[in-house]
Amino acid sequence: MSILTANLKHLYQRRGILLVYLALGFIAFVSIAVSFKRPAAGQGRFIGLVVLAFAIGLIAALLPIEIMTKSFSYCLPDHRKVVRRFIFWVGVVVNLFGSLLFIMYPDLHSGKLVLVVCSAFCAGLIFYWLGVGFAFGISSSVSFIGYLPLVMIGGGFFGLHEIIERTIVGNPFGVILVGVLSSVLAWLWLGNEGLARRHCAVPWVGFFDVWNRDKVQKYSQVRMAKKWDKLKQHPSPWVETFFLGRMNRYDYLSDGRYIWGALYKTFGIALSTWKSAFLGVLSAFVIVCFLGYMGAGKNILFIMPGMMVAPMRLQVYSSMLISGGRNERYRCAITLVITTAVLITAMVTIIAATSLPLATIMPDITLQGNTFTFHAMNIQLFFVPLLMIPIVFTIQLVFYRKPILMMWLIMLVFTMLFVTSIFWHKQLVAGINPMFIIGGLLLSWGTFLLVSRYICMSRCLAGKV
Amino acid sequence: MNNEEPIVQMRKVCKRFGKIKALDKIDLEIYAGRIIGLLGANGAGKSTLLRNIIGLYLQDEGECITFGSEAKKLGPKELGRIGYVHQEGELLDWMTVEQLIRYVSAYYPNWNRDLEEKYVEDYEISMKARVGSLSPGQRQRLAILVAIGFEPELLILDEPAAALDPVARAQFLDLLLQIIQAENRTIIISSHILSDVEKVIDHAVIMKEGHILLDCSFDELRERFCQVRISALGKELPAELPFENVVHCKRSDGQAILTVQDCPREKLQEQAKSLDCWIEIETLPLEEIYKIVVSS
Repeated sequence: MSILTANLKHLYQRRGILLVYLALGFIAFVSIAVSFKRPAAGQGRFIGLVVLAFAIGLIAALLPIEIMTKSFSYCLPDHRKVVRRFIFWVGVVVNLFGSLLFIMYPDLHSGKLVLVVCSAFCAGLIFYWLGVGFAFGISSSVSFIGYLPLVMIGGGFFGLHEIIERTIVGNPFGVILVGVLSSVLAWLWLGNEGLARRHCAVPWVGFFDVWNRDKVQKYSQVRMAKKWDKLKQHPSPWVETFFLGRMNRYDYLSDGRYIWGALYKTFGIALSTWKSAFLGVLSAFVIVCFLGYMGAGKNILFIMPGMMVAPMRLQVYSSMLISGGRNERYRCAITLVITTAVLITAMVTIIAATSLPLATIMPDITLQGNTFTFHAMNIQLFFVPLLMIPIVFTIQLVFYRKPILMMWLIMLVFTMLFVTSIFWHKQLVAGINPMFIIGGLLLSWGTFLLVSRYICMSRCLAGKV
Repeated sequence: MNNEEPIVQMRKVCKRFGKIKALDKIDLEIYAGRIIGLLGANGAGKSTLLRNIIGLYLQDEGECITFGSEAKKLGPKELGRIGYVHQEGELLDWMTVEQLIRYVSAYYPNWNRDLEEKYVEDYEISMKARVGSLSPGQRQRLAILVAIGFEPELLILDEPAAALDPVARAQFLDLLLQIIQAENRTIIISSHILSDVEKVIDHAVIMKEGHILLDCSFDELRERFCQVRISALGKELPAELPFENVVHCKRSDGQAILTVQDCPREKLQEQAKSLDCWIEIETLPLEEIYKIVVSS
């Protein structure tokens, strides 16, 4: 087996990447389906796969980078050069397919058609190299994948797809020239002897490590160690005094001391950086305005807290030993979840309440021929965060050692609620009554209490993910 | 036999992680006032054993009693007597060093400010630095400080010196010796750096694949294994040497170097005398003893 073949196996050997392929496959399918509908020229309907090359370039570069960061990975003979061959191979194949969509472009004759397909191929390469450059140039580029849909939607809103398509068809020579030049530059740069050396044993957040708290923490520790004097963010003196003061009011063996300690650990930094919290509230207001104009999607506000608390960690699993035992961990976990749920529910309810008077004063907005009207949020749904937060924490506790599965489950719950809130909004609102709310709350909180009790009392509470 | 009650008592403790048996019927008693070296390769079960002692892990079978309480039920009263430095280095990264120390000290009534100040000075720990920005070595020093600041009766050190440079390691070993000077203080240290461990321990527990291969005092261990250098003083050594329990033998010309187990030194000398040979008996370093025990 050649070294290149061995490296190409990375494209299918990791099970997690299949999910990414599923998402990319869906976008590709939509792009191809749109082209087969024979849309008119200049509407930007043929460039789906060309633009998708950016995401593929990002992923194709991230995989070998991840391997290069392992010590000695590319110190074996001929292994250094394989990165270039791997990335080029993927790029050429992907863009070859992507450019073929332009065969269906209307009103193109043989000579011009070949030229436009070549232009599309080169445009795809340009996007591909941008993705590759992004992966190599930005240390935490992997997290950017999550924002790609937003970038694509934003680009579509501003008509970038039309501009790109017109450029590919209208200026094929220019696009081909840039495509060839960028490929030559990429070829030379990726062949640089120092590339492997620069990445060797460098801390790196891998493709699926963004969900792995331990690895992310280790990575940020090493990064921060390099600029420790620049970091100022730590609990303010008043926050420290407040929480330590509360702790010291209780006896050393009392639960109160542990509960206040846990609250300090969880909310200390958030309270200290109240300016950021203020900015957060400000951005929440902007979100309210945006959601108010969204129509059926406006009630996403009540589901968002579930995602907001997902990165929070209860202090159940911790190998930093203080004198609190399993019982103390359990009580602290319950207190933290109750505090978080109450605070967030209050915040969301206030935001929703703010939208009521806003509905009377916010003007209609007309964009590209569409008129958007501001609608107040349905304050009846205030209980949704109270319902969701214990579910999210239950998933967290159960799947603590499987962070990717944990995130997928949380996202699944989020998506289900989101879809329900959009498509069955009326039925949902009609079905809400005190019994429904109480029943739901009892179920979610009861499950959380039972699961957390079982984990705190009967499971291992330390160890790496 | 020790007449005192052990502070840690494990009886037939088993712990599995899926198909892997991390601890297999472990019987162990730890008495106060000792420095115990817990030795073994990666995956031998050392960290699992230590975490069982403090109740972070729970055994599937058997019984683990720490300070008279079931490990599962350890509470502030018992855990307030145990210090633990772990290999994962988990600390609160967003606090400054000073804030972290204040925070941890709030859980312990007997926090020793003098010891804290001395340690901070000796280890050159910057109190103003943010914990998350510390280098691995500095983090480890801080982890050690928060584990010893309340002068625990039982100090559990799981690979404590892995991130320390040689000077810091030497300081750390001195510190352990100072800690143990106080009566009834017990330290369990798990480490791969055997040359360091052997300077401080007085008891050794060697583990392999979830089993305890050996549990004895370090002096006894050093007595049990020795290296014997035999020289025929210019003549030829007999083809078969009469020594018993030879673990390893290396011969060249009129000389032989034997590694011998469980053979009294007097007997070795007598046998050498009967061969009319010159003999030198040396104590084996812990690393060599460890290799023999693990491979046997």
